[in-house]
Amino acid sequence: MADYQLTLAHLYGDLMNTYGDYGNIIALRYYARQIGVTIEDQLVSLGDDFDPKAYDFVLFGGGQDYEETVVAADLQDKAAGLKNYIEADGPLLAVCGGFQLLGHYMEMADGSRVEGIGVMDHYTSNMTAAEVATKKGERLTGDIEIKNNETGEVYHGFENHQGRTFLGKGEKALGTVTKGQGNNGMDQSEGVIYHNVFGSYFHGPIFTRNGNLAKRVLATALSRKYPDVDWSAKLAAVPTESF
Amino acid sequence: MTIKSALAKATARVSHFTLQKIFHRGGTALPGKLAIKVDPNVLDQVQTDFDLVIVTGTNGKTLTTALITRVLTAGGYAVLTNPSGSNMVQGITGTLLTTKVAPSKNGRKPVAVLEVDEANVQRIAAALKPRYFVLTNIFRDQLDRYGEIYTTYDKIVAGIKEAPAAKVLTNADSPIFARGDFPNERIYYGFNHVAADEFQDLKAPTNTDGILSPTDNAVLHYSYITYANLGRYFSVSDGFKRPEPKYAVTALDELRPQFSVFHIEQTPFRIEIGGLYNIYNALAAYALGREFAVPDSAIKQAFEQNEQVFGRQESIRVGDKVVTLLLIKNPVGTNSVIDMMATDPEPFSLVTLLNANYADGIDTSWIWDAEFEKLHETNLAWIATGGERYRDITVRLKMANYDLAGTYPNPQAIAEAIQDAPTQKVYLAATYTAMLQIREAFKKQGYLKAD
Repeated sequence: MADYQLTLAHLYGDLMNTYGDYGNIIALRYYARQIGVTIEDQLVSLGDDFDPKAYDFVLFGGGQDYEETVVAADLQDKAAGLKNYIEADGPLLAVCGGFQLLGHYMEMADGSRVEGIGVMDHYTSNMTAAEVATKKGERLTGDIEIKNNETGEVYHGFENHQGRTFLGKGEKALGTVTKGQGNNGMDQSEGVIYHNVFGSYFHGPIFTRNGNLAKRVLATALSRKYPDVDWSAKLAAVPTESF
Repeated sequence: MTIKSALAKATARVSHFTLQKIFHRGGTALPGKLAIKVDPNVLDQVQTDFDLVIVTGTNGKTLTTALITRVLTAGGYAVLTNPSGSNMVQGITGTLLTTKVAPSKNGRKPVAVLEVDEANVQRIAAALKPRYFVLTNIFRDQLDRYGEIYTTYDKIVAGIKEAPAAKVLTNADSPIFARGDFPNERIYYGFNHVAADEFQDLKAPTNTDGILSPTDNAVLHYSYITYANLGRYFSVSDGFKRPEPKYAVTALDELRPQFSVFHIEQTPFRIEIGGLYNIYNALAAYALGREFAVPDSAIKQAFEQNEQVFGRQESIRVGDKVVTLLLIKNPVGTNSVIDMMATDPEPFSLVTLLNANYADGIDTSWIWDAEFEKLHETNLAWIATGGERYRDITVRLKMANYDLAGTYPNPQAIAEAIQDAPTQKVYLAATYTAMLQIREAFKKQGYLKAD
């Protein structure tokens, strides 16, 4: 078997790691090793450069408010690199805070506003506006289930967030909420798909509980690096963990 | 004591007596409430009667409080403490007012050692003005129940500020404790067990929180790490570094699942419980003891009495097996349990039970932050799963590359299942409600005595 290898950037893995986000790497490795692929993960953190050509996959997890503020300031220096990577169809999973920071801004629980890098068109409100009074102040917490609008795949997870995210131009939801709250508790959208960026509020972590999505994203990353192999077919032979 | 205070105290005593004898309930909250109603100044009386020590932090409070109580008792103090979980001002005042304390043998004022949840520190400190705060550590718990670590620390700092004359006995190895703007004197304890020529330049593993420098939010480096984010830290962006501890562990001599032997300064100590985190608890108790002028010999004697104080690690016989029950609830705690198993020189088996009820934390994501992969480096011979969320924990261990011997959602099935394990020793690691369920099953099956 040929040697196949993916290099993964764990963006701020030492600061944005609150809800088992590292589990997404464990899950990717689990499926990858069954088809002869190794995954090397590299930490890209405060002060490090982000080279858009160096990585085959990027994980950007969620964090505590304090760390998120520190990360938001540093992230501005990586914005151009990330935009290049995303526009060149680089695969990326962004969870919770990571998802929020790729958008324009987020309002924190204390009312302060943290600037994102706006490489994607969503924004995150803390639900202070009058038009969203119905859900004002309530944290969106609990089990969640969504259905992807194109593939019909169903994803399970657990959500726990104060911010309400509203998708923008060119962004599709990762799925439509069938149980739970989703991005904002109002429009039934959950997460985002933009080029090969997958964003979500799911804890779980999302790839561990949803092998269908993990395999789909893994195939995307592998096909981008090794286009001559039918990765979807290879992965189809691997049992999918789903619960 | 004023007549009013004496009356208030008497009111508390009578009501305590009434509750216990007539209603057969523990009832420490109500007596305190009645006493405060009679005379709010009764709280001043408590300060006159006792030197107060508040023990707080996210992990290790109960054991640290128990060890401090023993150390001070061995040093000749009359000591009073609150039952674990009894945290409210009224409850604590009730305890302090209703318990009859003989004078200290050493002639000093009796000491009240209070275990206080982070969220209640401010209220208790404001009311009772302690002489010492003992801070154990602050680790992330499941965030669906508790706040973020910096929020938690802010709550403790708010309490410390209520008693500016109190000394703060704190863990030097924990970077978060270098934060906080308060005038109180800080006294540090920590680990100095690594020689300078063996210092490395380390960073905490990716999945560790609380690693930012208080000065400029740079990611901290470490000369050595004891566990999680604890160690001799330093910053490369400025000169900030771990404060030098006044009381330090200077050698780790023997670490086993059932006991630890170590040196504090020049004196060897032994505690009948495994785990580095418990050595930190003992060190905190040692430091407080020394602050109260308890000699090393008395502290040693206090540590080496092997009574119920280490009750959290309980071993029971189930058929042919010796089962050790271990509570797990968050990544740091679980990693500590795994580190403890790694000190076991004999082969062992492990059953991991996961529930996600309110008391366990309803979000199971934390299992992915616990390093189950490290079990590959231990003498683990057999592993199985169970609990209401057996699917989550099964996939977790499968993805960590373990061949599971079985999965047992029904707690009644576990006693029989572990008879197939190839080792006599079985660790049973369970979340809170899963532990209650397995204990219930063991009781039904006659392996544990009914309450």
